[in-house]
Amino acid sequence: MDSAPISEPILLILLSLADQPRHGYAILRDTETMTEGRLRLSTGTLYGALHRLLADGWIERFHQEDGSRGKQVYRLTPLGRRNLQQEITRLKLITRLASLRIASKET
Amino acid sequence: MLLLYHFLVHLYPATYRGEYGEEMLAVLSEVLTENQKKGVMARIVSAVCEIAGLLCGALREHIRNIAGSIRVEKSFSRRVTMRSDFRFPKTTVTLMALVLLAVFLAIEKGKDIQASIAYANPQVGPIHPTQQLALLPTLLLVLAFACLMGAFGWAMLFALRRTGSQRLSNVDVSSRPGCGTSLSI
Repeated sequence: MDSAPISEPILLILLSLADQPRHGYAILRDTETMTEGRLRLSTGTLYGALHRLLADGWIERFHQEDGSRGKQVYRLTPLGRRNLQQEITRLKLITRLASLRIASKET
Repeated sequence: MLLLYHFLVHLYPATYRGEYGEEMLAVLSEVLTENQKKGVMARIVSAVCEIAGLLCGALREHIRNIAGSIRVEKSFSRRVTMRSDFRFPKTTVTLMALVLLAVFLAIEKGKDIQASIAYANPQVGPIHPTQQLALLPTLLLVLAFACLMGAFGWAMLFALRRTGSQRLSNVDVSSRPGCGTSLSI
């Protein structure tokens, strides 16, 4: 997962964890909000992605007491943040290129 | 519905289930609670998505486990090494030898039959509609046989993986006389 482009669900999960640590259900809700309901991750997909990101060291998990019961919370590691920034730079480049190409075609 | 999700989570590999199972069920429970406020159609769509997600996830993790268990070392020797959590039982060698022997015997028997009825095969003529109809059950039989063999192969792989990993995980190193801490698997 070091050089390959990141898939949309993974990118959204990383973006969800970029501002603050979140638990599983909060990530689901946040990804849905970010895409305005267009993308609704299933629990199976979410945990498959989290498992992979944990294995690759992009995110880490810790236990947080939340009211009556504890919850496993996920946050970005420095490696995950760096890779996310690289991916955003790549996407910006593509967006700029696309804008230029489309603008040159229209004129 | 939660019972169904519980069953589907049980389809995941044991290690994965141990790590995420409880958490996944908690999330699924929250999703169910949230869906109660929505309409019937939205609830059905959500349930279908969750079921498909869990089934695909379980399949993906099993495939990843099997694929990840055998790792080919990219060295000059091209040795095939296996991870410590996966071992074939010793009976596999015997079973494979028996299968190989059966294949050789079948080939020899086939040669004998061919020799005994040489030139006695009837000439194949045009296929009549009645013969075409007879082909359908044969094709179905072949398809059923292929499915059966596939299921048997999958069951064998599953059983081998289970017996191998469970036996290793049940090894109690400390209780064995003469086994020190230097035992490595």
